[in-house]
This record gives sequence, structure tokens and C-alpha cells, in this order.
Amino acid sequence: MELALPENNVIKNWYLGAGIFAGTIITYTILSFSYISNESAIMLMIFNFLFISLVFPLRGKLVKKIMLLLLGNIIGFLWNNIFSLFAYTAVHYLGESFNIGYLILNPLLNLFWIVSFWSISLSFLANSRNRQGSVEN
Amino acid sequence: MTAEILEILFIILTALIMAYLIRHFTFTLTVLNHAYKRKKIAPTKNTVFQPTISILIPARNEERVIGRILQRMTELTYPRNKMQVIVIDDGSTDSTGKITEEYAEAYTCIKVIHRKQWEGGQGKASALNTGMKLAKGEIIFCFDADYYPQRDIIERLAKEFADPKVGAVQGRVTVLNEPLNLVTRLVALERTGGYRVDQQARDRLGLVTQFGGTVGGLRRDLLESLGGWDESILAEDTDLTFRVYLAGYKIRYVNDAECYEEAVESWRDYWKQRHRWAEGHMKCAFKHSFKFLKSSSLGLKEKIDGLLLLNVYFMPILVLFSWIIGVPLFFLRSSQWFRILWASIPFSLYSFVGNFAPFFEVGIGTYLDGRNRAQWLIPLLIFTFLYNILICTKAFVDLLVSKITGKNNNHWERTVHSGNGNSYIWN
Repeated sequence: MELALPENNVIKNWYLGAGIFAGTIITYTILSFSYISNESAIMLMIFNFLFISLVFPLRGKLVKKIMLLLLGNIIGFLWNNIFSLFAYTAVHYLGESFNIGYLILNPLLNLFWIVSFWSISLSFLANSRNRQGSVEN
Repeated sequence: MTAEILEILFIILTALIMAYLIRHFTFTLTVLNHAYKRKKIAPTKNTVFQPTISILIPARNEERVIGRILQRMTELTYPRNKMQVIVIDDGSTDSTGKITEEYAEAYTCIKVIHRKQWEGGQGKASALNTGMKLAKGEIIFCFDADYYPQRDIIERLAKEFADPKVGAVQGRVTVLNEPLNLVTRLVALERTGGYRVDQQARDRLGLVTQFGGTVGGLRRDLLESLGGWDESILAEDTDLTFRVYLAGYKIRYVNDAECYEEAVESWRDYWKQRHRWAEGHMKCAFKHSFKFLKSSSLGLKEKIDGLLLLNVYFMPILVLFSWIIGVPLFFLRSSQWFRILWASIPFSLYSFVGNFAPFFEVGIGTYLDGRNRAQWLIPLLIFTFLYNILICTKAFVDLLVSKITGKNNNHWERTVHSGNGNSYIWN
């Protein structure tokens, strides 16, 4: 099934997306000095980049997409903090080698929430698009 | 010293993985951009260019599905006087031959070639070469026995041959038995990413579009000049793709020309099929990589894309290798740059063999197809990727062993079709 996507506001969305992405880079760079690890900051930046560049051009209200992006960042931030706290606790009892294990697995653990959230967001956007379509028809 | 060597090796591997990721990100963006411009499917009613065609259908013990495709052949909207259907009964021991004979008696456009049991089972390329001898059409199309095309598929595909530079054309494959189980659902996701995004983007960008060996056609004169299908290679479709490009022709992909296939239904069958693909594809990489680089008829972007495509089945092995050498580097030399590169590797994990499509590519493909529920299964693609690491490693080892020992391990592991897809067809 071919879907026609709107041509309007493409350029406006592009500038907006670039602005939001630049904002997230600055935010996570600052946060990485004290609140989150560098690896987590990188993963969150990659998530933002993919989400803005590939989900923003899809059909659907911009507000919904921004809310989803915000929600994704909150989930990512919490996910990374929870795992970091778990890692600190484990290092205290199990020794420094656990920290290396955590560093090795950290990108993979991050990808679990990124892919899951990505799939759910797409499904959510597609469902709302379909509902809109059925009303229009 | 060891750490330095490992680090250099790790950087090279990560650079390769990144090259594939960037390639597929570009594909996804291209298809999204294309979706903005594309408003409707072109009608086929008034298609003027209608060359004579021959459709080859190789079949070996396909009694559960052969009747379905032959029935469909009789329902195609392409002019009957310009169409010839040739079924190659490849030494079947079941009732495939009997079913095909019944159709040949009822419809004059259907012809059957019966190969004796000692002749059959030598692979699809061998059966197709036999069928080609009887073919009279200007264009030769191929369909597998378990396929089920849309009625006007030939019009949609054949019109591309109006351009003399087009040597072959490829249609879209979708999964018929998708709701059956998890394997068929994951295969359907792979197909969506592979065709809806990957093939379409390559076609749009003027890169190397792949001829899939089925749901596609080639010019007969070109095929004859190339010497037909290479029977010594398991991935005869990939081999033909590169020979077509090396001969100076292009391959077009037509997303609107859809055909259903019956996907493998168990992990065991998945292994057999992908092992065959992987081994054949790797053999093609050895055969064509250098020739492709040297070719004067190809542009730089075609050469780069062709090389990436040829070597795609090595990537799961290289991902595994990068993980193996990356872990000791954490102990030996854990620099900031190394950690950044390390973070990029998992992104290639959520990809599947053959197209090496990352999760975002599959996601956009399903979105554009309007398949909302299928998107929930994307995280599970990690299992197919991990499985494919084993498959590709085994295929590579087998290929190396056959190279060293000089024994041509070219055994064709046929995919068994259950005919379960019949229940999903509504006439």
C-alpha cells in the first residue's frame, strides 16, 4: 500500500528537527560531565538523531512527535541512571571487574530500549494516522 | 604492541560497520523522500510496450504448491498470444509432473519439461537452463513454484524493458504465510526492509539493484550472451546480477509488482535456506569483487555499492569478530574514542543477513506499508541476526574447506514448501 505523505512544512520541520538535535547534543554534553556517563550520552544522542531524522518526516502531528521524543529521552535517561546505580552497587560488592562488564554491555542494553521505543512510536504514529484517515474518509 | 594491533583492527572493522550503517540510513531517507513525491500507483491498463515473454517455473517435488501458481498463470492479464509458461519438472518423485501435465493439456500456453530423476535435483540454475532451451519470448521471467503473483505483474515488470539499457527487472516479494508463526513473521519483516526500502532505494539512487532469481525477468538475448545461469554457484541470482551489470546493463526494481511467497516455517528450514544463500553469495564475492572494481562500464557509486552488496554476508562474521577483539581492548586500552566506536557496533546487531538492514530501515518499511502490528516484532530481529552470525560463520568455514580440499560442495538444499499458504488466498 502506497501512502502519500504531506509536502507542506517539510522545510520548516527540517529546521525544527536540526534545532532540536543541536539542543540535545548540548544538553547531553553538559549532562555527561556529572549526571550520566559519556557512553549513555552518546547513545541518547544517536537515539535523538535517528528519531528526528526518520520519525519527524512521517505523517502525524508535530506535537505528538515532540512528546514522543521527550518521552524517549526521559525513558533513556532513567534507564541509564538505573543501570548506573545498579552498576555502582554491584562494583561495591563484586569489585572493579563488574564495571568493565557493565561498560561492555552498556551499548547493547541501551539498544534494547531504543529499538523497543522506536517500534512502539512508529506503531503509535501509524495508528493515529489510520484513525485520522478513517474519520476523513 | 598487541593492543595497538588489536586497536587498529578494531577501528577498521568499526569503519566497515559504520559504512554499512550510513549506507542503510541513506537508503531509508531516500525512500522516505520518495514517499513524499509518490502519490499513486501507475495504472497498467494502457501499457503499450508488451514484448513476447516466456515464464520459467522450476519445480521439484512441489505437489502442494504447483497447482496454485499454474492456476494463477492462467489468470494473468498479459495477452495470452504473447505469453508462454514453461514448467520444468525437475525429476519429481511426487505428483508434480501429473499436476503440471493436467494444466498443459487444458491450456496451450503452458508447456512442461520432464527431467528424469537422475537429471533432476542439480539445482535451480540447471533446471532454468533446461527451460531456457524451449523459451521463445524476448523476455524470460522466472517464478518459484511456491509463489503467487498479482494478476497484472507481467505488465508492470515488462514495461521497464522499453528502455534498451535495462537488462533485467525485479518485482517485490511479500510473505503469504506471514501469520503462521514467529519465523514467518520475522521473515516477513526482513522482506519488507529488503524490498520496500533497500531495493527501492538502490533503484532510486542508481546503485546496484539485485535480481532475486524469482519475480523478475531478463532479456533473452542478454541471457544467452552471458551463457545462461551458472550451475556451479548456489546463489545463481546474485551471480547473474553482477554479470548483467558487468555487461553494461542496468536492473530496475518495480515496487508495485508484488508477488507472494511461501516463507520458511521453521528455524531448521531457515538455516538451510540462509546457509545456501550465504555460501553462494560469498562465492560470488570471490568471483566478482575484483572484476567489478576494474570494470570500465560502471561508475564509482555503483562500484562501491556493488562491493558492499557482494560482501554483505561477511558482515555478521565481522560483527562477531569486532566483539571478540573489542572485549580485551576494554582491559588493555579503554580510551574515550574506543568507547564511542564500541557503542556503534550494537546498532548493526539489529539487522538481518542479506540486506544488513538496521532496525530503523525495517521500521520505516513497515510504516510505509501500513503494517502497524508488525512493528512490535522489530526488537525480536536480534534473534535472527544472532542466528545468522552462526549461519554465515558455518557457510564461510564450509566454503574455506571446499577451497582448501578442492571439493566442490555445491549441494542444493531445497526448501520444502508445505502449501500452508493456500489457506491465506482469497479468490
